[in-house]
Amino acid sequence: MTSKVEGHMHRLAWWGLALFIGCTMLQAQSTNPPDLSGVWGPYRGGRGGDPKLAPPPASPIVLKPEYAKKYEARRAAEQESANRGEPLATASSQCLPYGVPSMMSVASYPIEIIQTPKQVTIIAEAFSEVRRIYLDKPQLKIGEVAPGYYGRSVGRWEGDTLVVDTIGIKESVQYQRMPHSDQMRITERIRLVAPDILHDQITIEDPVVLEKPLTYTLAYRRLQNYEMVEFVCDNNREYVDENGVVRLRVRSQ
Amino acid sequence: MLIARSAVYCLTIFAAQALLGPIAAAAHHSFAMFDQTKSLTLTGAVTAFEWTNPHAYIEIDVPDGKGKMQHWSVELGSPSILMQSGWKFNDLKKGDKVTVRINPLRSGEQGGLLLDATLPDGRVLGNGPGRGAPSPAK
Repeated sequence: MTSKVEGHMHRLAWWGLALFIGCTMLQAQSTNPPDLSGVWGPYRGGRGGDPKLAPPPASPIVLKPEYAKKYEARRAAEQESANRGEPLATASSQCLPYGVPSMMSVASYPIEIIQTPKQVTIIAEAFSEVRRIYLDKPQLKIGEVAPGYYGRSVGRWEGDTLVVDTIGIKESVQYQRMPHSDQMRITERIRLVAPDILHDQITIEDPVVLEKPLTYTLAYRRLQNYEMVEFVCDNNREYVDENGVVRLRVRSQ
Repeated sequence: MLIARSAVYCLTIFAAQALLGPIAAAAHHSFAMFDQTKSLTLTGAVTAFEWTNPHAYIEIDVPDGKGKMQHWSVELGSPSILMQSGWKFNDLKKGDKVTVRINPLRSGEQGGLLLDATLPDGRVLGNGPGRGAPSPAK
């Protein structure tokens, strides 16, 4: 081979390599979603924090008139009972899990996200609740999902945002004690707003019960080296008396 | 008429939500069964330290000053919440002398919600951080 031909071949090879690398990088940017795996604690912004990272205010819960009346009456009864020092029992005071979406924001407990290409699994430390988001399957129709605490969630990546659709939450599993029908649909948009700050924008739609959808955003901060604590409800010393009031079992010795 | 009524209901919900604040994080239960306007200080010997869910408990025998023992049950947050304010599972054991400050039960029974505890080594630990970002366990 002459040195001139060799020179051309070298140049071609280098250009080929450069093109290959460039194409691979472009490909990676458009198909590789961010990795949300890790343990995330609630983040409420606060002094000195970047206001863009704090969660925006929630929209109000606006119920249709026939549901609003009952909801308001129940809230008033709960408030009145609490004021008398006799709180009415809730599902969680009996160690029942929160389900979706409430499990995503329980006091100051963290959540753990385990992300693989086909599934995102979220474990809430409170009550050790687990939800699974399928990335490689279509959603079923409402009515095809057995009503439960977690429903059925499917998700897809839209650029850097994980968009999740959940149906099939049973009626006794309520967000902020809000009534809902079997037509309730929950959409979440989950994304990193900073390398260690995650937002989950949750929209609840229910054409039967809600006047309009409600939207609220949860913010999380990445925890380093945190080992999730187990949570098995095996020492619930609270009980519900005949009036539906929560009482504490004290010991005599 | 119907419109005015539904407007009132809608406004009521707006108001309720405004009072609640932007996000109400779910909580296990309200602390309404404890009298949060009163605080009681008890010093006694630990008979049990239950590092359990949904709540940890300190069981203590407190001398009543008349030669008898009173037994009290003190409710704490869950282990995870307690660890967020420095507690460890083995910070108390049977026989340890402890001083607890509590909100007593409104019912008058001998029980209460922990405000803070002074351990044998002098450390004073509270009852979890409440709201706010948790610090890592390690």
